[in-house]
Amino acid sequence: MKIAVPSFLRTTTFRLALLYSAMFAAFSAALLIYLYYSTVYYIRTEADRRMDLEFEQLGNAYFIGGMERLSQSVLERMTRNGSTFYYYLEDSSGRKIVGHFPRMPAWDPELDVQTVYFDFEQPEPDGTVILRPAAGRIVRLRDNGGALLVAFDTEQQTAIVGRIQRAIFIAAPIGLALSLLGGLLISRGAARRADELARTAEAVMGGELGRRVPVRGSGDEFDRLGQRINAMLDQIEKLVESTRHTGNAIAHDLRSPLSRLRNRLEIALSEPMSKESAEATLEETVQEVDRVLGTFNAILRLARLEAGAEGERVRMDISELAEELAELFEPACDEQAQSFRSQISRNITVLGDRDLIGQALANLLDNAVKYTPKGGSISLTVARGPDGTVDLTVVDSGPGVPEEARGRVVQRFQRMDSARTQPGSGLGLALVDSVAELHGGKLILADGNGPPDAPGLKATLRLPRA
Amino acid sequence: MLAATTQENAMRVLVIEDDTEMASFIEKVLVEAGHSVDKAADGQRGLEKARSEDFDAMVVDRMLPEKDGLTLLREFRDAGGTTPALFLSALGDVQNKVQGLKAGAEDYLAKPFAPAELAARVEALGRRTPVQEAPVTVLKAGDLEMNLLTRKVTRAGQKIDLQPREFRLLEFLMRHAGQVVTRTMLLEKVWDYNFDPQTNVIDVHVSRLRAKIDKDFEEPLLHTVRGAGYRLQG
Repeated sequence: MKIAVPSFLRTTTFRLALLYSAMFAAFSAALLIYLYYSTVYYIRTEADRRMDLEFEQLGNAYFIGGMERLSQSVLERMTRNGSTFYYYLEDSSGRKIVGHFPRMPAWDPELDVQTVYFDFEQPEPDGTVILRPAAGRIVRLRDNGGALLVAFDTEQQTAIVGRIQRAIFIAAPIGLALSLLGGLLISRGAARRADELARTAEAVMGGELGRRVPVRGSGDEFDRLGQRINAMLDQIEKLVESTRHTGNAIAHDLRSPLSRLRNRLEIALSEPMSKESAEATLEETVQEVDRVLGTFNAILRLARLEAGAEGERVRMDISELAEELAELFEPACDEQAQSFRSQISRNITVLGDRDLIGQALANLLDNAVKYTPKGGSISLTVARGPDGTVDLTVVDSGPGVPEEARGRVVQRFQRMDSARTQPGSGLGLALVDSVAELHGGKLILADGNGPPDAPGLKATLRLPRA
Repeated sequence: MLAATTQENAMRVLVIEDDTEMASFIEKVLVEAGHSVDKAADGQRGLEKARSEDFDAMVVDRMLPEKDGLTLLREFRDAGGTTPALFLSALGDVQNKVQGLKAGAEDYLAKPFAPAELAARVEALGRRTPVQEAPVTVLKAGDLEMNLLTRKVTRAGQKIDLQPREFRLLEFLMRHAGQVVTRTMLLEKVWDYNFDPQTNVIDVHVSRLRAKIDKDFEEPLLHTVRGAGYRLQG
């Protein structure tokens, strides 16, 4: 049979609180038990010790002066102020010589030494008589046959022990209650933080992708967890954004070439055509399809890149790669009557993916070649940048990018209208930006060295050096 | 449009591809290039065929029913199979490529591909085996000669000066003399780039090389194959 348990009792919080108080209770119990027994033990041994001392002194008196001296000594002690002991001395025939009590308490005359517990009557000032508990030791006197009792009132001891017991009985439940309360409070705090996480998760599930876990700045484990979760959400949001953007981009940038393609085929179908013009149409069509596929691949590559799924980091000589690319591009610039200059510092290494960085640098050079007019100039510089970075800078003498448009051109498919006539997927700078980000660097765009009407573009790919 | 391959280069090619339309397309491309084609539609049958018959080259799709391409090739190589293989796959990442080459493929081509690219790469596969057998020190193509040891290049006895990169470019072309090589093949094999520099940089390098080897001679050796790439006349 299952018992319905209130939901809060099933929480980790409650279990933690329970565990906490159980542990606290066990610890307190152990402490109190130790305290109790050690106190009782101390009281007992202290009483024994004082009793031993008493007997030693009285024994000395008996040794020196016999029965006479002993009884005198006992009498002295009985009248001394502040004495806590009670005495009773009897002779060999059992007659009382001196003492507090009317007679010896019940004892076994066979034994030389024995401990006795008894009650005695004590008259109060108001005339009543009360019974008081006492503990004592009876010693038979050697060579004489008499016996000496030294006893003390145990009520004081009992009172101390009783007070300790009372204290324990009062303190234990209060402590238990407090520990339970404390446990509940502490774990409720934790539960509230956990609830915040759960609420954030629910909000995100509900489509509120911008929602974040509140971080208090205390640096505790919940804060650290919150920060991790927030970082994860940032990444997820970025990915979703990227997917959405990819979808839009595909819709936007692939629809128009596909429509053109369709129109062309439609026309080819409807018109009687010579073999030559049919061939020409088909060839153009294939080219168009290739462009579409190229754009498609670029979109996918960029999406993977932004998801951080591509690239293998190895230590690589960036100077060498730049030299090679300069050598690769130099003839192409030459062909376009563009002057090409490169200045590359040697032996600079970075931790990165050779293909990705190569592609990024090639994109920058490709852009420069495309947008620089005949007779213009292009330069590639590789030099150490600030704070342990390396700057790969490509400067051209083309039209440049106005400052207000720079943020846009690194976004996907954002090409300036004037650039629409140039071939390309419009993903070049976006890819450079993504590659930079993936390697912990950035892409910086600035004016080149040209006059204000055609300043040219200075594109710097800044990467951390290895 | 495709380079008509001479009869002596004709090969028997095994195509392992489950998509029948793609398989027919590959077959058509290869048959047009002068080769004969045998097809297998799943990994298990492909492996059996590759083991039981003698092929000059094989084209293997990566994602296959029964047995995927990587496993197929690994098992084939482990059992001592030497037939050169080209992976054909929609998975075109550099990592995927490396996986394919590690599994024992000689080349890797991402889908979609241009027919000329496939034809050129399959043809390049066929030439691999003899090259590996005896180390060559002198390459010849017509009256063009390249000494790999002295790094001297002559045409009809006349010395030609080449930059280091031009030398490597010409070496690759000469090793594949008579075959079509594509721009992508040049980028991968001569420059060792797995990325696309976009600008027609390769064309410019080839035309510079052409200027050096063909300029003073009547008969051009280095031809542009429209829509495909280049061919150095053998």
